[in-house]
Amino acid sequence: MGSRLGGTGVEEPVDRVYVGNINVTARRARELLLGKLKLGDVIDWATTFSLWPVHLLTSCCGAEFAATWSPRFDAEQYGALPWVAPRQTNLIIIEGTVTRKMACALRITYEQMPHPKFVIAMGACALDGGLFYNSYNIVRPWEVVPVDIYIPGCPPPPEAVARAIIELRRKIREKKLASRWLVEGWRHDREPVKPVDDVCKWWRP
Amino acid sequence: MNLEEVVELIRGALGDLAKEITVRKGYVEVVVNPGDVVTAATKLKELGFDHVKSVTAVDYPKESRIRVTYHVSSYLRDDLARVIVGLSVDLSRENPVMDSLVGVWRSSEFQEREVYEFFGVVFKGHPDLRPLLLIPELAEKRVLRKDFIVREESIYEGVPHRYQ
Ligand code: SF4
Repeated sequence: MGSRLGGTGVEEPVDRVYVGNINVTARRARELLLGKLKLGDVIDWATTFSLWPVHLLTSCCGAEFAATWSPRFDAEQYGALPWVAPRQTNLIIIEGTVTRKMACALRITYEQMPHPKFVIAMGACALDGGLFYNSYNIVRPWEVVPVDIYIPGCPPPPEAVARAIIELRRKIREKKLASRWLVEGWRHDREPVKPVDDVCKWWRP
Repeated sequence: MNLEEVVELIRGALGDLAKEITVRKGYVEVVVNPGDVVTAATKLKELGFDHVKSVTAVDYPKESRIRVTYHVSSYLRDDLARVIVGLSVDLSRENPVMDSLVGVWRSSEFQEREVYEFFGVVFKGHPDLRPLLLIPELAEKRVLRKDFIVREESIYEGVPHRYQ
């Protein structure tokens, strides 16, 4: 890494990316994508910038979820875009309480998504029942799908949702989740979840 | 039209069908026999009560009865829109069966399904009597009846002795 004296007299590294310096940016991107990195790192890098959550609105936390992508908080700057079709997404944000009927929809949505896929559980209800902890009609989401990140709060503020997406990005890049999952076909850092209850009535003979 | 006149109107229309009419602030409760409920509902509809606001049920385990109440009101007649009329039926707790009022008020269809799943009240003549919000196994437990026990609040560990 060389250095030169800038116009201000302060020594700056030459190959730092500046906004607007298109030549440096292009060269850095080429080095990043083709030069030094393995393909797996590129996959991880690409996955972190295209975490598209499926809009699975199960409960009142959905209001905060919507606010996260509104202009004020603008979670789209992290490369995340709420999308309607589960087959083109790779992230579920469980927005609050999951009732027994909705658990089936949650599991079907999860099964439909292509690998590598991730789950964020949002709100006290998705952690351990929250307000409805003694209700007869709810399930804990971690009994239905494997959860990567939990967001506490009732409801969690939009900043917390954005923070969870950043945290998930860090986790993917540090543990190389996406590329290892694609190469090995398995995720080693957690167990797969088989639903505790027969949520969709598929196990019946 | 004030409340007394509405009550007189209802009393005149229902005649002997009404076993009991109770008036509270803006609310008139009419109790009829389970056999007469469709006739009474038809007469109320002819009077101008054109929609059902809610269908609900109350469980009285000590008296061994379930009271199903239809709250009806009017959109089209201004004078009747100020009151809510409760059309109530007392059913036995062991075998709660009554005639469905979907034929009279179409808006009661989904709400009768809810009463069916939460209290086990069977509505004869309902076009589509299935559980609405619960899964079928839960609906069999009749979860809103008083003898269904849910886990206690976290402050107590169980019910204190003096409340048992
Ligand atoms: S955590 Fe609070 S806001 Fe979120 S679904 Fe539960 S009750 Fe609603």
